[in-house]
Amino acid sequence: MAGLELLSDQGYRLDGRKVTELRKIQARMGIFGQADGSAYLEQGRTIALAVVYGPHDVRGSRAKVQGDRAVINCQYSMATFSTAERKRRPHGDRKSTEMTLHLKETFEAAILTHLYPRSQIDIYVKILQSDGGNYSACVNAATLAVIDASIPMRDYVCACTVGFVDDTPLADLNHVEESCGGTNLAMAMLPRSGQIALLQMDAKLHQDHLDSLMEAAMTACKGVSKVLDEVVRQHLQETVILTGD
Amino acid sequence: MMIKTEKTLCLKSSRGGKVRVVREHYLRENVPCYNQLCQAACENEGKTLSEQLTHYVVPDAGVVRDFLEVLEFRELQGIVFMQTACHAAQHSRGRRLYNRLRSLLKDPRHDCIHFANEFQLYSYCPRERGETQEKWQSRSIYNAAVWYHDHLAGLRPVVMITEDKEAIAEYSSCTSGVYVISTKEYLETFWPDLKAAQELYCSIAQALLEKESESTEREYTEHLPAEVLEAGIKSGRFIQGILNVNKHRAQQEAFVRFEGSANKNTDLNSDILVCGGKHRNRAVHGDLVAVELLSSREWRGRTTALQEGVGEDKAGGGGGGGGGGGDESQVQSQTQSQPMPTGKVVGILQRNWRDYVVTFPPWEEVQSQSRNSQRILVIPYDYRIPKIRISTQQAEALQDHRVIVRLDSWESTSLYPNGHTVRVLGKSGELETEVQTILVENCIQVPQFSEAQLREMPTNSTEHPWRVEAGEVSSRLDLRDTHLVFSIDPIGCEDVDDTLSVRLLPGGTRMELGVHIADVTHFVKEGSLTDLEARSRATTYYLADRRYDMLPAVLSADLCSLLGGVDRYAMSVMWQLDATSLEVCKVWYGRTLIRSSYQLHYELAQSLLNGEDAEVPELSRLQANGTSEAELSKRRVELLEALRQLTRVARHLRAHRDQGGALELEGVEVRAQLDSSRNITALVPKQPLEVHETVAECMIYANHWVARKIQESFPHQALLRHHPPPRQEFFNQLQDSARTRGFTIDTKSNKALADSLDQAVDHKDPVVNRLLRMMATQAMSNALYFSTGACAEDQYYHYGLALDRYTHFTSPIRRYADIIVHRLLMAAIAADKDTEQVPSTALASNKDQEELAHHINNRNRAAQHAQKQSTELFQSLYFRDKDPLTDERCTADAVIYSIRANGMLVFVPSYGLKGAVYLKNRESQVVGVAEDGSCSWQGGTLDRQLDRISTTTATGTHTFKVFDHITVCISVQPNRCHPLNLCVEVVSSKPHQAAPSPEAPAGTGDKPKGRGRSELVQEVVRLAEEASQQAKEGKKGRGKLSKQEKQYRQSKQPNLYTVLQEIAQLALLDLPACEAMGVGA
Repeated sequence: MAGLELLSDQGYRLDGRKVTELRKIQARMGIFGQADGSAYLEQGRTIALAVVYGPHDVRGSRAKVQGDRAVINCQYSMATFSTAERKRRPHGDRKSTEMTLHLKETFEAAILTHLYPRSQIDIYVKILQSDGGNYSACVNAATLAVIDASIPMRDYVCACTVGFVDDTPLADLNHVEESCGGTNLAMAMLPRSGQIALLQMDAKLHQDHLDSLMEAAMTACKGVSKVLDEVVRQHLQETVILTGD
Repeated sequence: MMIKTEKTLCLKSSRGGKVRVVREHYLRENVPCYNQLCQAACENEGKTLSEQLTHYVVPDAGVVRDFLEVLEFRELQGIVFMQTACHAAQHSRGRRLYNRLRSLLKDPRHDCIHFANEFQLYSYCPRERGETQEKWQSRSIYNAAVWYHDHLAGLRPVVMITEDKEAIAEYSSCTSGVYVISTKEYLETFWPDLKAAQELYCSIAQALLEKESESTEREYTEHLPAEVLEAGIKSGRFIQGILNVNKHRAQQEAFVRFEGSANKNTDLNSDILVCGGKHRNRAVHGDLVAVELLSSREWRGRTTALQEGVGEDKAGGGGGGGGGGGDESQVQSQTQSQPMPTGKVVGILQRNWRDYVVTFPPWEEVQSQSRNSQRILVIPYDYRIPKIRISTQQAEALQDHRVIVRLDSWESTSLYPNGHTVRVLGKSGELETEVQTILVENCIQVPQFSEAQLREMPTNSTEHPWRVEAGEVSSRLDLRDTHLVFSIDPIGCEDVDDTLSVRLLPGGTRMELGVHIADVTHFVKEGSLTDLEARSRATTYYLADRRYDMLPAVLSADLCSLLGGVDRYAMSVMWQLDATSLEVCKVWYGRTLIRSSYQLHYELAQSLLNGEDAEVPELSRLQANGTSEAELSKRRVELLEALRQLTRVARHLRAHRDQGGALELEGVEVRAQLDSSRNITALVPKQPLEVHETVAECMIYANHWVARKIQESFPHQALLRHHPPPRQEFFNQLQDSARTRGFTIDTKSNKALADSLDQAVDHKDPVVNRLLRMMATQAMSNALYFSTGACAEDQYYHYGLALDRYTHFTSPIRRYADIIVHRLLMAAIAADKDTEQVPSTALASNKDQEELAHHINNRNRAAQHAQKQSTELFQSLYFRDKDPLTDERCTADAVIYSIRANGMLVFVPSYGLKGAVYLKNRESQVVGVAEDGSCSWQGGTLDRQLDRISTTTATGTHTFKVFDHITVCISVQPNRCHPLNLCVEVVSSKPHQAAPSPEAPAGTGDKPKGRGRSELVQEVVRLAEEASQQAKEGKKGRGKLSKQEKQYRQSKQPNLYTVLQEIAQLALLDLPACEAMGVGA
């Protein structure tokens, strides 16, 4: 991949986007009747499916029960057909476990868990097609699913990745850009308050550039939140029409 | 706003299989067209195509790939490079071509733009199923051309040029206003006057044609594919490095130098030897290659015998390495050193081909060489480059001419690389041709300043005198009335970069020292055409008889030059020093307005200091104007006092630095050493004046403080200069040589080295100390510019000057680095004043700065090489016309400084040249020494020890030792293709005793040689001019090149150059180190 020029002199990226432009996001909510909440989200060519059950009684071991809040249970997995080369283990590997943990932390920060003491909320996310930014697609899809399940949250949780090439931050990396081995910062934030739910960065970065990178990530997340907001409103309108109010 | 599509690519996976990859592809409507004619309000930022053009031209992928050189002509305007074409070129020809294309697009002097046609909604056309790549590219580019034409509302015709006949047939009549024609036709119809482009086109086209009809017989093994190389380098199986061909054994020996320290083979700390043409496998000097080590049984040593650089290039020279090696190795076995790691080239990571100067063989030779007279082998000027095969019709017209050639390819089926001609320089052996050759060989491009560049310059003529602007007066600190400013330069200097001032502040406890430097950045705005030109030149080039300025003359010799008695802008550093202890209390940096009161020269300043009653021109002028005696003497006293104070401060600074271990390399002897590497230090008197050192010290001080300032303000992007400590093993030769005379040299630190060099003085023979210092300098590495973000802080150290931070600030007229430093300093000052402002956005990033530093270092090296080569050229031309047997000037005294297996290296102090003396010739005869010291070739044997070499013949045995004086005779070997060689032969084993001719008195070697040197240059120039005069009279047309070149000559006076050079060395104490590089290589 060494020969690829991620950012041309004219300011275009490989896929024709400019540095701050996000990939096209398309989403639908409420796609499964059985689940409490569900959402389908495409972010460029990355496709994620999120399903939420709950809040319900804590299943399994009683030891998990929290007296003052709900327990959030996440599960992340990738479809075997999601990447160009077939994946052998769809879940349970280290990467998925880590991702599961990240999702859990993100949503514990966003969901008003204290409203449901002694109960449990399940969030299942599956990547159907992977093309970079898996984490952010999962978070964005799960947010919609949680909203669809009518579970109160502090705000949308919006996530986006940012990379750093030629001293310039690139918003919303795709797979090619991610795999070139540069810096990769994933951020999940609550856009209205500007609070950061999760921040994770791989590879080295000079301290001086961190600010500009964070700035770019925040702008990108706010962009995502606008799209999600749109989707939710659209969905509401449709539901209202269906229920005939 | 954007439309998402997907495109499918077939890529090769790392394992060689094919993978289908789908990628997103976003399209948009508003892709800037970069055209001034644009009707649709595109956001055209940066370079745009002018609306005055008659047409726009769109080259297709094939043209960009093969004929980019033709498109590089600045005369060709209005070129639109389509993204598709650029991509295709990048894929098929790799980074190098692509980078060239990028720099072409960035260069504002070229009227060409890039249009991202694949991201434009309407000009994008997806590749259809079953469509070949080439077809799709032509279709895509044609579509884009049509769109571009429509986008400009059809105001100008668009011409698409292609080499693809089918495309011409298919598209030529599709759309009115969009023409599809071949490149040849385009050049002929639209640019009939641009013959050079047409010739270049034909030359490339022919080379391409030849390539197709190549035979398939293998001469070399194939290179490994890039992925294999990459993996091999990572695993440590291959070693990556730059190939360096041994100049003296270009056929046999080449070395690969390590890159970086990431290598795992730590036991391999030497270079890797690559023996013979087969193992070198088509790598050319300078290429970045991957080598594989041979098994240690096959390792060989390097040859230590002297060998004439004449390329004995047999027809099968490239392939003969393996076969002929057997009998050669027997001969060499005694002269080879210890076996060293030996390897073979398995792949080339990066070609670093440049323009090469070659010489056409005489016509008779061409005819005998091959039946097909269109393909001939030409011989490069540089020994290290293999012969190049060229196809041309002009071989007869060009015989014995020097021509610039570019390499195209080197297939495994071909013994020699293929190339094409670019430009004819002139007949070999003529002065102008030779000087141009030196410039091209060092990649120095110094065209005349263009109209547009000169238009940017302010005017200063008698009708429109240049005046200080009122706005500038208020924004600058006005020193015209408050400070006594003066300059000290060599006599006749016209570009005065630096002036000084010193005064006692009111109160008497503090004094103020000021260094005022010409404010070039006021006139040369960042990004202006002049700035770009200066950046690409990076320095003023001094050759033996001329110089090529970095800035136009109106700046360098007039408005920027801090002349006496006129108002000038300056950048100043002013220190407040404690009057007694001379500690720095306060430093001020900023822009000032000055008027230099005295323009002194060194000798005058020194005699004033010595209390002599020297005449100061400025005061005499006042006297003539009727100023009173009292006033005059007051001024005189004032000036004297300033000079004394200055000397005092400089002594203090020097002492301070000496404690830190500053190397005394700029002492008397080193200046003489510089002489040996053919620099004109001959003008430097034997005893340097103290005032030289005083001025130099102030400049170093200013440079140091500016370096501190910019480094503190911009810790990641300041341009500094460092001088890394030398590697200890390089001092071995020095220590060995010194031991023969009973001196020990301590090389632990710079201070120890300086001290021990000072002590190593042989009172009977001052040349010994000079040679020792010369060797010390050779052992050192270059001082280099760097960006502070790219180096750890402990590497900022300047070894030669013993300063922790150093930069170049004091000569912005002739060095581009100083201009950058000036800008940084201004930004630092602005940032201090206004902390809100974030300056780092306007400044170049660390990466850019590092790139720039690299560029300047490269250019400096080129400048030094060119300077050295031009001096050598003049030396050879000087001796060429002398008959060594009769002319006394050809006989001189020489000192042996190194011993080789079949000869020795000598230094001729009176001409400042070094050469090799053979004690054994090709018939295996050795030099026999008779009773009276005279030498002759006889049968005999040689015996070499570390510091001596003995010849035994019938007449007896004689031993030559290091530092012995001998008499040599200098002659010139005729050489048609390569630089002329001086041949030094031993005449007598005794020191030269002949009646001393005026410029070469014998023996001592440290007499002033100024006259000899400048005479030499003058004589050669005179002869050359006479010759060209005669030629012009004889044939009008022939002198065309030399006439043209004459205009570039900005200084007819050879002396001026020497004078400037001298000040350069004073200000740049680290220059000797750079010089060492040139000599050592």
